[in-house]
Amino acid sequence: MIGLPKRALIWLALPATVFLFAFFILPLIFVAADSFSGGGSAYGRVVSDPVFWAGLKGSFVIGLAAPLFSLVVGYFVSLHLASKSERIRTLLMFGISLPLTFSGLIVAYGFILTFGRAGFVTSLLAEIGADPAVIGGFIFSPLGLGFTYSYYLIPRVVMVLLPPLVNFDYAQINAAKSMGASGFRAHLDILLPQLIPGFISAFCLTSAVAFGAYGTALALVGTQVNILPLVLYSKISETGSDLPAASAISVILMAICILITALAETVSARKSRTTSRRKVIVA
Amino acid sequence: MIRFDNVAYRYGDGEGGISNVNLRVEKGELLAVIGPSGSGKSTLLKLLAGFMEPQSGSIWIDGKDVSGVAARHRDLGIVFQSYALFPHMTVLENVAYPLRLRGVDRAERAERAIKALGEVGLSSAADRLPATLSGGQQQRVALARALVYQPKALLLDEPLSALDASLRTEMRDLITHVQRTAQIATIHVTHDQEEALSMADRIAVVHRGEILQVASPKDLYDKPFNATVAAFVGKANLWVGDVVSSACVRTEFGDITCDASDWVAGDRVNVMVRPEAIIPLTGDQNPKHAANCFDGTLVQDRFLGAVRRYDLSIAGSVITGETGDRGSLSRISIPSDSVRLLPLQDD
Repeated sequence: MIGLPKRALIWLALPATVFLFAFFILPLIFVAADSFSGGGSAYGRVVSDPVFWAGLKGSFVIGLAAPLFSLVVGYFVSLHLASKSERIRTLLMFGISLPLTFSGLIVAYGFILTFGRAGFVTSLLAEIGADPAVIGGFIFSPLGLGFTYSYYLIPRVVMVLLPPLVNFDYAQINAAKSMGASGFRAHLDILLPQLIPGFISAFCLTSAVAFGAYGTALALVGTQVNILPLVLYSKISETGSDLPAASAISVILMAICILITALAETVSARKSRTTSRRKVIVA
Repeated sequence: MIRFDNVAYRYGDGEGGISNVNLRVEKGELLAVIGPSGSGKSTLLKLLAGFMEPQSGSIWIDGKDVSGVAARHRDLGIVFQSYALFPHMTVLENVAYPLRLRGVDRAERAERAIKALGEVGLSSAADRLPATLSGGQQQRVALARALVYQPKALLLDEPLSALDASLRTEMRDLITHVQRTAQIATIHVTHDQEEALSMADRIAVVHRGEILQVASPKDLYDKPFNATVAAFVGKANLWVGDVVSSACVRTEFGDITCDASDWVAGDRVNVMVRPEAIIPLTGDQNPKHAANCFDGTLVQDRFLGAVRRYDLSIAGSVITGETGDRGSLSRISIPSDSVRLLPLQDD
């Protein structure tokens, strides 16, 4: 495709393959093997531990709430960006993508400095009578954690939703209006249904990220909030660490994230197949 | 009935828009609006549809001033250039959508949608998605959808531009048939003059935001208002000439005998002759009986199938003619009654 022989292309793919193997496949094999080191008893210990179930529940809540919130905000941001010229859109996208370059720890400290008990926003709100203990305590709660996650989930939503919104034929909205639909009804009946694959894709992507996020959560709430990555952390850091159980939780966590990502991939693959079929027929 | 009263709209950058447009489209009439890109014809349509509001003047639909009335309350059927079909709905759902918005019950809207699809010869595709249809079929769905709720007027925004030539001819006939059957006032915006000439009852020529002429296709072709209209509608030879007398005009390549009684000697004019009116003379024809005979050199000869379009260079000027004759060409005659004198334009 780029004018290089097949053999050269294989060589070009080699570094990435080695990297993937050394830092993902190999550790995964070790972790999976470790989780079965006691004949699978580690899984028994994990599922009989109420802390694991509380962590799983907490992760599902965050993996659902944070993506939903990000989806709503990200949709409106994308809608706004799609209405701008390409030049302005590129500039704004640069700003919106910036949070993705920060590590989870930096984001956590940034939120503590902004929304923490002595944070900038908390102090400002305290000036108008808000209780700093309530406002400042919010980001250390599970919902606050979800709110913090949305800082780097929203750009991901925008990146998924913006292309279909930019490519959308807005004549369809005008057509619906000319037939008697209000602007709201036209969006509801015409635009939103066509964005459903994008919504599912963005939701799964951000849900997988929220499910597996670790650094931000640890920096913000330590092990005070029960979510799976922090339960896993407690298994290897606290006294009486249980490495096979930690490995078992890793495998479970990995399986959930892969399932969610696979769902997103399936949806976007189906979507691209439909689009390409449409293009062929129209051509 | 549609009426534009002194309607004006200029875009912020001062480029484009329309000025002082006065138009009238009667019930059952098909008015084609033609003009080059950026002439303002789409602006005219958007203003009528309610997607933009005029800066001055007023638009009337069925005797009601629709200034400030939202697009959804104007009750107009629109066929968009891109068809604007809803890809997530089946053909039937697309056509039934305007009825759904009007609260028509499910059974009745299915029945009416099927009937509308039948009128455009597409009832068998009711359960298909638009993406599985050809361009021509999508066009038919768009037409059925625009007419199913019996709107007050039909607006066609370059509806045939995305179709190939053979399908375009077929669709022209279909649109004309459906429009005539529905007896609906229709505005058809197009840049394709042949499309306008073949479909419209009347044609409005828009140039730089102004309507230059509104006339029947035949009048527009035979009696264009000026050189711009003549050049845009069909092919035309346009030469600058000086009126010599009430029966003669002088051009760069010689004097032409014609009716110049509406002009006075010394007037500068545009001399217009349609290519198909020019008669090529072969050796055995007697030139004494032919008017305005000129000898020249063949500089371009294009075979177009049914006709042959040629350029003859005569004393530095080029005369374009069309003929079915395939013999050699070096002499032509311009019949006096085919010559039309038009006011000279600065640009």
